Amino acid sequence: MGLVKYLKSADLTPWLEELAQENKVFAPRYEGDAVIFAPFDPKQEISIKHAATMPPKKTVFPQSEKLVDFTYSKDPEDLSRVMIEGKEVLPEGTAVVFGGRPCDVRGFTMFDRVYLAEKTTDVYYKARRDNTSFITLACEKPETTCFCHWVGSSPYDATGSDVLATPIEDGYVLESFSPKGQKLLTSKLLENGDRWISKGQEVNENAVESLTDAPDLSRAPQKLLDVFDNMNFWEKAAAKCLSCGACAYLCPSCYCFNITDETTGMKGTRFRSWDNCMSAQFTMEASGHNPRPTKAHRLKNRVGHKFSYYPGIHDGVISCCGCGRCIKSCPVGIDIREIVQEAINHEPAIG
Amino acid sequence: MKFQEELKKCISDVMPELDVVIGWCASFDPLHATPHFMRRKEDIDKLEISPLSVHNLATYLPGLRGKKVGIVVKGCDSRSVVELLQENLIDRKDVTIFGFPCTGVVDQSKIKKALGHTGNVESCEMSDTALVIKMDDKTQTLAMAEMLADKCSSCRYPDAVISDYFAGEKIGNKGEKDVDYAAVEAFEKLSVPERFGYWLKELDRCIRCYACRNACPLCVCRDHCAAESRDPHWLSQENNVRDKLMFQVIHAYHLAGRCTECGECQRACPVDIPVLMFKQKMNQEIREIFQYEAGVDPEATPPLLSFKMEEENITEKVW
Amino acid sequence: MPVLEGTELRIVGFLCNWCSYGGADTAGVGRFKQPTDLRIIRVPCSGRIDPLFIVKAMMNGADGVLVSGCHPRDCHYSEGNFYARRRLEIIEKFLPILGYEPERFAYTWVSASEGQRWQEVVTSFTDQIHKLGPAPKILGPQASDTLSVMEAAL
Repeated sequence: MGLVKYLKSADLTPWLEELAQENKVFAPRYEGDAVIFAPFDPKQEISIKHAATMPPKKTVFPQSEKLVDFTYSKDPEDLSRVMIEGKEVLPEGTAVVFGGRPCDVRGFTMFDRVYLAEKTTDVYYKARRDNTSFITLACEKPETTCFCHWVGSSPYDATGSDVLATPIEDGYVLESFSPKGQKLLTSKLLENGDRWISKGQEVNENAVESLTDAPDLSRAPQKLLDVFDNMNFWEKAAAKCLSCGACAYLCPSCYCFNITDETTGMKGTRFRSWDNCMSAQFTMEASGHNPRPTKAHRLKNRVGHKFSYYPGIHDGVISCCGCGRCIKSCPVGIDIREIVQEAINHEPAIG
Repeated sequence: MKFQEELKKCISDVMPELDVVIGWCASFDPLHATPHFMRRKEDIDKLEISPLSVHNLATYLPGLRGKKVGIVVKGCDSRSVVELLQENLIDRKDVTIFGFPCTGVVDQSKIKKALGHTGNVESCEMSDTALVIKMDDKTQTLAMAEMLADKCSSCRYPDAVISDYFAGEKIGNKGEKDVDYAAVEAFEKLSVPERFGYWLKELDRCIRCYACRNACPLCVCRDHCAAESRDPHWLSQENNVRDKLMFQVIHAYHLAGRCTECGECQRACPVDIPVLMFKQKMNQEIREIFQYEAGVDPEATPPLLSFKMEEENITEKVW
Repeated sequence: MPVLEGTELRIVGFLCNWCSYGGADTAGVGRFKQPTDLRIIRVPCSGRIDPLFIVKAMMNGADGVLVSGCHPRDCHYSEGNFYARRRLEIIEKFLPILGYEPERFAYTWVSASEGQRWQEVVTSFTDQIHKLGPAPKILGPQASDTLSVMEAAL
């Protein structure tokens, strides 16, 4: 067990202010009718009662980021010769993300397997990942769209988090799960939390108890492969899909990107920006051929990747954290749980 | 709903001639409905029409061209169908339209605001006047009139403007109300920096998922949108508020004289950006200059696809 | 241009090839004095002008946009300017909702022989833009980049 501390509710804002002196602090707050993670501002109220509309994905994996700034120049001796000079733009500074939920933060561990792999490490991702700490809020009550327990997690799962905060009456029990987390818990505003531990556990257990039974997804990887060529199945599943990217962009574990060089005059920037497999251009080839021509092909990829292809190469880990945002925020209410279960229960026609 | 059984029977009678009929059914919680694609008779049992039937199903029609499709429409949805017919994007002979008297649909954002959140809805009872929602061991009653979408409170076409079958009794035009652009007019009274700053602030949280575009029944370019084209490169891939705002202008302008204000763009937005106002403004102008309203007459030509040598309502600048 | 910084604003002009570009040329050949804020982009016809060009120019930092084509009934392609008139009228009325004054945009008709009229149009439009001053600008990718500067200015 790591360090355990107690924070009074009234001290939350001062604590975040304290953390903001050395780090960039992100916390959820209302922008319009949506709750998003924004740079912490003591003048603006944070909103942590319910899971945010958007996960804190962009704190480590920004919606777009500069990879390289480049400049063209002409050789004065030979004007037909164009030279190019590039300058890598690496992220700087440390950040603390407060108020993500266990599912939100666990999503990054699915990024890690791809971007922090031994052979190919993504330096931009690594820089932010190493320099960002997560103070995660345990959930008190799951929502109707929550299914973290289906995919091997729980309302107080600290995987990927540095500190887990469990809300109890008038305060939070804070527990560290990493050296980074331990460092965050050195503030004078925090008091020893030992006598609150049992209260925190009670909240955690109550949350688990209010979960409904989780179906067994162990057959999902194989079953999804079985229906891979069954376009009837996928056309039915995707009939109402609009092929927009809301599900992917709100997903804490969707990590795909696009790279674009944008030039104005002699200067330019290489951007990396979010991309999503629901977009037609995601697989569009230079020849004009598109191996995923319809929304059925695209939805198949999204579901298949999360529940079959990714587990297939990553020790059976499902790359879905069960936050339910894709269900809740889908403009037409597509339910990924339903599709996976239909695939599991699908029996091929005999003959 | 009384007409629902009549409608089910209607659909059941015609179904053998159709490939699919689109309606609504229950969704992941009692507060939501979802589009329902009916292919077999037993699918019809699940059909549910209620104030939760928010989706404009006309969005699916161009993608199903060539198939025999039945579609259940609210009054506003039927205007999208008319507009698609006007523009020759669907074939009248292939589309079977089922109308019903619509008394309005809810705005989920309003409910969320009224209740604080809607993550744990256990049940939702609806009557003409109220929504009774059970959640978090509490039962709360919300006035239906206050939860209806804005477009419903000023609705002028509660009955489908075009239909092959109509279940129930028509409501009739609710007193020829005029369109209500009060919100747009109020916004225009703000100062220049206020208006400019408002959009920057609102669009800052846009994630460029393009749900607004894909939910729009009249955004028919689908996989070939200017937003994602690299040549011409209308929009940067940078996470820049300028490009987010520019896309909204592109969307609104490409809908000029075509938009029926079904509000799907705004409803679909996962981060609740009030993007409908751009289209309302455009429509307000179209009405003033061309006395034209989209999606009412299948034979009409949208105003930007035609011209007059002498324009009555355009006064050119004198230098 | 740095010499003129502060005194000159940026105005983008979209001129049709057949009439207005010729008219601007006539004004030049006739040595009519004109303000220099306008940068001209030649297009085949006013009907070629996507009204989104105007918004795009504004968002990228233009302080004003001027469109000029052939007089109605004089279009080289018979009816391009009739379509243009409807589109341009609409975008002009749309600008206020974005937070731009509608006076920052104007469209008009100048024929190839109307050098004098071109001079009047440019002079009067440039004056109009100078009266309004610089247009609101988007100063960076995040809204806060712009909003913080706007707040500081108040």
